[in-house]
Amino acid sequence: MKKIKKNLILKGLFICLFAVALSFICLSDGVAQSSQLFKTYKKEVSGKIPETSDSIAAGKEIYEKRCYYCHGITGDGNGPAAPRLDPKPRNFTRNEYKIRSTGLSELPTDEDLFRIITSGVEGSAMPFWSTLSAKERWQVIHYIKTFNKDFRDKAASKEVSSGAGKASDQESVKRGKKMFKEAKCFLCHGEDGKADGQITTTLKGKWNLPYKARNLTKSWLFKGGNSSEDIFRTVTTGINETPMGSYADYLTDEDRGHLTHYVKSISYDMKTEVVLKSKLTVGDLPDSPGDEAWNTASSVELPMAGQIIASPRFWTPSANSIKIKSIYNNEDIAFLIEWDDMTNEQSEVYSDAVALQFPTKIPEGLKKPYFAMGESGNGVVLWHWRAYEESLHAVKEEAEMGSETATDGGGVVAVEEETGHAEGGETQEESAEEEAIIEAPKEKFKNFMTIRELNAKGFRNLVVQPSNSQDAKGKGYWEKGKWKVMVTRPLVTSDKKIDIQFEKGKLIPYALAIWDGSNKEIGGQKSITSWYYLSLEMPTPKSVYFYVIIAIIIAVSIQFWVIGRIRRFPPEIPAEEV
Amino acid sequence: MGNKKNSYSMIVAIVSILIVFIIIKFIAPYVFMFLLAKDHTMPTPSTLMLWYMILAILGALVYVSTSDLKWARFLSFILPAGDDKTKTLFQKIIVISFPLLVGWFVYSGTMSGTASPVELRIQHPTLLQEYEKLENPFANADEKTKRRYVEEGKILYQQNCRPCHGSKADGNGPFANAFRLRPINFTDPGTIATVVENFAFWRIKEGGPGLPNVSTPWDSAMPAWEDALTDEQIWKIIMGEYATAGVAPRQREEMEH
Repeated sequence: MKKIKKNLILKGLFICLFAVALSFICLSDGVAQSSQLFKTYKKEVSGKIPETSDSIAAGKEIYEKRCYYCHGITGDGNGPAAPRLDPKPRNFTRNEYKIRSTGLSELPTDEDLFRIITSGVEGSAMPFWSTLSAKERWQVIHYIKTFNKDFRDKAASKEVSSGAGKASDQESVKRGKKMFKEAKCFLCHGEDGKADGQITTTLKGKWNLPYKARNLTKSWLFKGGNSSEDIFRTVTTGINETPMGSYADYLTDEDRGHLTHYVKSISYDMKTEVVLKSKLTVGDLPDSPGDEAWNTASSVELPMAGQIIASPRFWTPSANSIKIKSIYNNEDIAFLIEWDDMTNEQSEVYSDAVALQFPTKIPEGLKKPYFAMGESGNGVVLWHWRAYEESLHAVKEEAEMGSETATDGGGVVAVEEETGHAEGGETQEESAEEEAIIEAPKEKFKNFMTIRELNAKGFRNLVVQPSNSQDAKGKGYWEKGKWKVMVTRPLVTSDKKIDIQFEKGKLIPYALAIWDGSNKEIGGQKSITSWYYLSLEMPTPKSVYFYVIIAIIIAVSIQFWVIGRIRRFPPEIPAEEV
Repeated sequence: MGNKKNSYSMIVAIVSILIVFIIIKFIAPYVFMFLLAKDHTMPTPSTLMLWYMILAILGALVYVSTSDLKWARFLSFILPAGDDKTKTLFQKIIVISFPLLVGWFVYSGTMSGTASPVELRIQHPTLLQEYEKLENPFANADEKTKRRYVEEGKILYQQNCRPCHGSKADGNGPFANAFRLRPINFTDPGTIATVVENFAFWRIKEGGPGLPNVSTPWDSAMPAWEDALTDEQIWKIIMGEYATAGVAPRQREEMEH
């Protein structure tokens, strides 16, 4: 009996040990390289001091040292740095306070101001001022309030109830989705919450400010926090002087709770990864950006900034992040690039576009070309897809196919654009290339257009590759506030000098750029990323297992040799201790 | 007293090594997150990890071999266990897990596909000769004019540098997240406070593209501002930048041969 029990314990222990070892291995992979980059909205308020003329004077001093560069010396939101800001800084002389606990078009409470000054506003230039002491923050608040007489004349605003928070569940999210329709949220925020609602772009407010609805999917950019409580507060209080009204009267507390849960459910956190793994597939690559096969590859999301490296610099880009995934097979490699864009307005000059950048040659050492379009002697190759050309291409396809219907959304805008511009000088060359591709013998990547490949050795040194070297193809469509663009190229090309040749198992630097046509982005006016790395996934070579087995055999033999030796010549325990 | 023959010092050594591993791998990231007031964990770099573990193993070996007695006891664990069932159990665990561990090392070593890029250390360049002799033309202005220049510089800073380096000069501007080599935090006493104004002048004027080849990791997004700013503006920005960050530039040593 006893023996059996002991045996069981032994086995149990061994299994536990193994499980622990395994979980260690899994954990160590999971932690790698993803990090949280963004600010949070802090609700704690501390150290409130009474409002006196002294505190106002002290606040003025701080304001004129720290705040006025954006908010202006008179508090009108027109400081010297304001022209290069998007969103614009608050104008304190008006009541356009966004993050409040008070009713619509009421002034915020002092505590509201304290919270926003302490936390900063993600997605804007407003930093978190927790670096100032609580006392200094209160002093600034007292001074800011002097810009707007209403703070003095009107009775203090009352906080609205924050509503008893109920936990989210599927039922609640479902009802929230219904609320989202019924309360017409989608008219501005878009059906998928991508801020592409039909009336957003046409609205202008009392003070002629352009309004941008919040993209409800990017939770890290929610102003005033992304917790359920924060979302509930925004739905309840609305945002002053914007089309975002208060829904306190229109929806009950409970319904706003459901709506909150729905908004929460469609938002996600940005997870960024330094290495993008291109997935190996045996068969054909996906044949369109919407292909189901893309779901099998995992994407990474990269933060973006305006192009500020070279003149003319660009301070107010539309895009702030981009997603990319990749699949390859023995012949070609394909990328799916996705980004949110409120509008789909293309013209010949200003068109939505994306460019993928690689070094011309995979770097052998650690030195890569300069991340912003390379440098002399160390060039990069760019694959440049433009929505305008896509629309032309789609129209042409349609004409050739005769009665067949247009395949994707890409062609929608083109119809009216085409008549005016199709004969334009630049596009002629383009169409010649397209034809060459269509007539190509292989039928893979049907309906794809040839995208432009360029070589750059610095900002001023950009060359389009000759037409017989244009090997990259692309196809994209815009739907519900999001571009999905697939670009593909053979792994190797005949232009070894000007094209990157993809190799398995190497770390290949890549970078991305986006242009938003409706924001008048063109040339150097664009959003860019740093270098990241692409790695073509390799099947585990058989030799790995072979090496492992050899290593284990060696380890076992050494181990038993040591044990045998020790047992044959047992160590003598010195006499004194016995 | 019969127990004395069955020393468990080998197990103690192995457990201590495991504890060191757990501390470095799982506890240290949180400790450093707290100590350095970061809002994310700070994982220990894998090469550092390897060295720490080698040190831990060496330390354990040195400890058990400090005297003949300890060494004998340490080895005695491998001797037949006799009636001691726990000892038999531990022996089995060691005998099985050692080859597995070796196998795992070889496996993770030969699986090259999961490699992550080598991130080079930031290597600070030395100031170029031609910049060494420059003088801040506003250095000798009287207090009042100087204050005006500082204010002008602060405004220029907020217009041009703020998107990356931030309103507070803390390297947290709205564009900062997009650059993997993050913009420098000027309020950190280890950055601009350690260099002379001329150095800052050179870095602003020539930016990342003007860095010498030895300055790794070659990823600086610092623009070469000579394309948009005049030398005078750059000097003003330097004055404004130090003022915004609340630090002073290093003073040049007078006694240089």
